[in-house]
Amino acid sequence: MKIFSAPDTSVDSEGRRAKRGHARAGWLSLLLVVVATVGIVAIPVFVIMPFKAQTASGVAWSYLLRRWSPLATVAGSVLAMALCIRLWHGARWWSRLALFVSLVPVLAATWFARQNHFEWMFNPLPNAAYAGVGEAGFVADNEMVMAVESNGEAVAYPIRQMAYHHVVQDVVGGAPITATY
Amino acid sequence: MWGSQVDGKKLTFHLAGINNQNFIMRDEETGSWWQQVTGEAIQGPLKGRQLAPVFSDEVTFAVWKREHPRGRVLRPDDRVARQYEPADWEVRYARLPVVTPADPADKFPPRTLMAGITINGKAMAYPVADLQKQRLILDMIGDMPILIVLGDDNKSVRAFERKPDGRTLEFFVKPETVPLQLVDAETGTTWDFSGKAVTGPLAGKRLRKVAVLKDYWFDWKIYHPDTGAYTLGSRLN
Repeated sequence: MKIFSAPDTSVDSEGRRAKRGHARAGWLSLLLVVVATVGIVAIPVFVIMPFKAQTASGVAWSYLLRRWSPLATVAGSVLAMALCIRLWHGARWWSRLALFVSLVPVLAATWFARQNHFEWMFNPLPNAAYAGVGEAGFVADNEMVMAVESNGEAVAYPIRQMAYHHVVQDVVGGAPITATY
Repeated sequence: MWGSQVDGKKLTFHLAGINNQNFIMRDEETGSWWQQVTGEAIQGPLKGRQLAPVFSDEVTFAVWKREHPRGRVLRPDDRVARQYEPADWEVRYARLPVVTPADPADKFPPRTLMAGITINGKAMAYPVADLQKQRLILDMIGDMPILIVLGDDNKSVRAFERKPDGRTLEFFVKPETVPLQLVDAETGTTWDFSGKAVTGPLAGKRLRKVAVLKDYWFDWKIYHPDTGAYTLGSRLN
């Protein structure tokens, strides 16, 4: 245990202590930035999760976090990188490895803030295609459809498709509509 | 089903979250969050705005194609078709857990399937099981006389105002007809499942359709806290 053996009694020990204090503050700030950046992204994921109850304020907070997380995570990344650069100088190899590792969750959160993970689970249908009644062998007679009729145009959205995609944009009888289920 | 425009601007909606088992949509243009079941913006720049409802009904494909032989049908997306619900999804869904608090004094179990109707702000829920027993329910919601009828496929539920030309009509189901037909007691006119008078003095007239939302009791109650509920023979208001 060489590192902890001889107490430093040289003349510049005061300066070293101050330096160590700075480094500690730097590491603490880095930890805070990592936790905050990840939290901003993770909190709404947990609050607006399926199969649990939500409150109005939980939804409001989730909106706020989702709204600002693309910007906030970039700020977090810049800050984390700046701190890493500062701490890099004079750091041992394991500290440098730790600095490197600390950037991984921050960058992952920054990427995630730009994703819609609900659309990973339920792929959207941006270019919906349609079939005439005669070619609609993919839907059984006893299956339920959502039906819309406008200006003489009739469209059926089979529930099985809608229960997966949830949202389909269409124009029926000249009017833009959003079929939701 | 909603009109996509707000103030003449077309919005593009995406699935963006879940609020008590009803999903939240986000529009690309403003980033606002919308509650799917109510069409209301609940967060963001458009908070408080309401999408215009578009009338839609939920019927079996058999009923729909009989009425619309020239209509078009949404195709499945082959990339994800394996992830669609199996054909027996209704049975499976009925067994899913309910996460909102249940009231032990409640008249119905949380996952009772209801045909929900709202007229002029007054909401009523009709158990689909009751419709399966008696096929036709005549009722008043506020001062609007309505009828709720189950199709001959035993799945499709439709509701109509039963007051064509300002005159309230009483209806009954014509026995043993497929497709299903209704007759009104006042004029003897025969009506089909789409609400059209087929033969008789009122032939050519149409009953005005009323939107029916098939929903579980617990979910219907969240969005219609003042709802009444129909039970065979009696009503609870």
